[in-house]
Amino acid sequence: MDRFILGRYINGDSLVHKLDARDKLIISMYFIVIIFLANNWQTYSLLLVVVLGCVGLSRINLGFFLKGVSAMIWLIIFTVLLQVFFTSGGTVYWHWGILTLTHYGIVRGVYVFCRFVLIIFMSTLLTLTTSPLEISDGLESLMKPLKYVKVPVYEIALMLSIALRFVPTLMDETQKIMNAQRSRGVNFGQGKLIDQIKAVIPLLIPLFVSAINRAEDLAIAMEARGYHGGEGRSKYRQQIWHLQDTLALGLFAIVTVALLFLRTW
Amino acid sequence: MVMSITFEKLSYTYQTGTPFEHHALQDISLTIADHSYTAIIGHTGSGKSTLLQHLNGLLKPTSGKLVVNGQMIDTKTKNKQLGDLRHEVGFVFQFPEAQLFEETVLKDISFGPKNLGKSETEALEIARQKAKLVNLPDDVLEKSPFELSGGQMRRVAIAGILAMQPNILVLDEPTAGLDPKGRIEMMEMFKQLYEKEKLTIILVTHNMNDVANYADNVIVLEQGRLLRQGVPTEIFSNPEWLNKHHLGLPQTTAFALKLQERGINLQELPLTEKKLAQKLAALLQREVK
Repeated sequence: MDRFILGRYINGDSLVHKLDARDKLIISMYFIVIIFLANNWQTYSLLLVVVLGCVGLSRINLGFFLKGVSAMIWLIIFTVLLQVFFTSGGTVYWHWGILTLTHYGIVRGVYVFCRFVLIIFMSTLLTLTTSPLEISDGLESLMKPLKYVKVPVYEIALMLSIALRFVPTLMDETQKIMNAQRSRGVNFGQGKLIDQIKAVIPLLIPLFVSAINRAEDLAIAMEARGYHGGEGRSKYRQQIWHLQDTLALGLFAIVTVALLFLRTW
Repeated sequence: MVMSITFEKLSYTYQTGTPFEHHALQDISLTIADHSYTAIIGHTGSGKSTLLQHLNGLLKPTSGKLVVNGQMIDTKTKNKQLGDLRHEVGFVFQFPEAQLFEETVLKDISFGPKNLGKSETEALEIARQKAKLVNLPDDVLEKSPFELSGGQMRRVAIAGILAMQPNILVLDEPTAGLDPKGRIEMMEMFKQLYEKEKLTIILVTHNMNDVANYADNVIVLEQGRLLRQGVPTEIFSNPEWLNKHHLGLPQTTAFALKLQERGINLQELPLTEKKLAQKLAALLQREVK
């Protein structure tokens, strides 16, 4: 469970931590879009340098980011292999049935791998440096315009922050129930596939029971403290847009321009 | 073969090499004798739960080793080798009712033995026995475990552990969240298991009364280190020492201490109500004479 890096915030006071959550949300979404502008080694290396620079600024151990990658390694390997073996063009190195290993395929495979690493690093950076509450506040604030088309923005943000808040709790709970069932002779992740699927039932049912109980308790606790929806509620955590936030946006604008110059058209 | 539990210079670190690194246990060496009733006390975060989780191999030591009934566990022990240990050591977690999942009480209790390879009928037979052992009334056996009261759910969960037929029963704050009557009944039930079923019992608790009333061996942990091990009378004989380490006294002992402050000499501090009553009776008799 240690490997589950999403939704895990590491407290700190680096420049990246201090940026406004809205800013970080915009930048990381924007970054994922501009990754698709990259199509040669110059552009990919530029993006890698930018991401590693951000990681450096956050002063968080690189190991955390690598763990994020390793959590998704099977998906990455699968996608990369698809690209490598099913892309045609360029010099053919090896050929077997429908599988061909070409120069072009290898290059595409490397690019896809880079794309994954870049996206994972950037989104991990967001969740590691921004607390879940900040993220949901940020989202709420960014979604405000949607209120005019009758989207329940506040409720969505509340649902999101509750969901994020309970990720670690549910992880702990899962760990506890797994331990309890292990002590009753269940072997998780061992044996035949059918046994492994069966082993999930004694885990899932208690987990649902406790999640539903928890939800009920939470609802009662909120109502007991006079909660009545988001209308006219003031905020304890104020979000303030600083100069540094604008500068960060500017930096990524420059990166975009550089990408447009460097990419092959 | 001598049946016992031995820790040798055992240390455990959570999440080594990350900012969350935490030395939960450091250099623990101790022995728990077969058929003893051991209480482990210490503050939240003193490493009690971590220590317990080593007993059936849920955690493996970062360094050092432990031997449970002849089976050694160290850093290199493989999960597959731990199957017997899970059988040997029954582990009742905090709020064990969270592990219930089956449609009926009986099915839930028989889940463990079925995993050990017992047949359906054998497993149900064991389940019936264990249900009786934890004083569950017959009419609840076919009910859903989720319909029962909190105390009964906990009994079902404990029966589920006993159904693994362990020789060692590990209890992590088994009375947390129960009402006073429920907790006394629960503690008496463990006493029965200890006396009649000849189980070795290891109990983690914050309740010093339970330690005084039931345990014959006490382990005191502080910040991941073994502070002291001894019989309850020894541990509770020094109120200043206990105070220094922020540990409480059993109610009876605290009461006796107050009596002593008022000049009533009891010599040795009694741990249980019975002992205190006897001493006071003896004193009164002497006075009458």
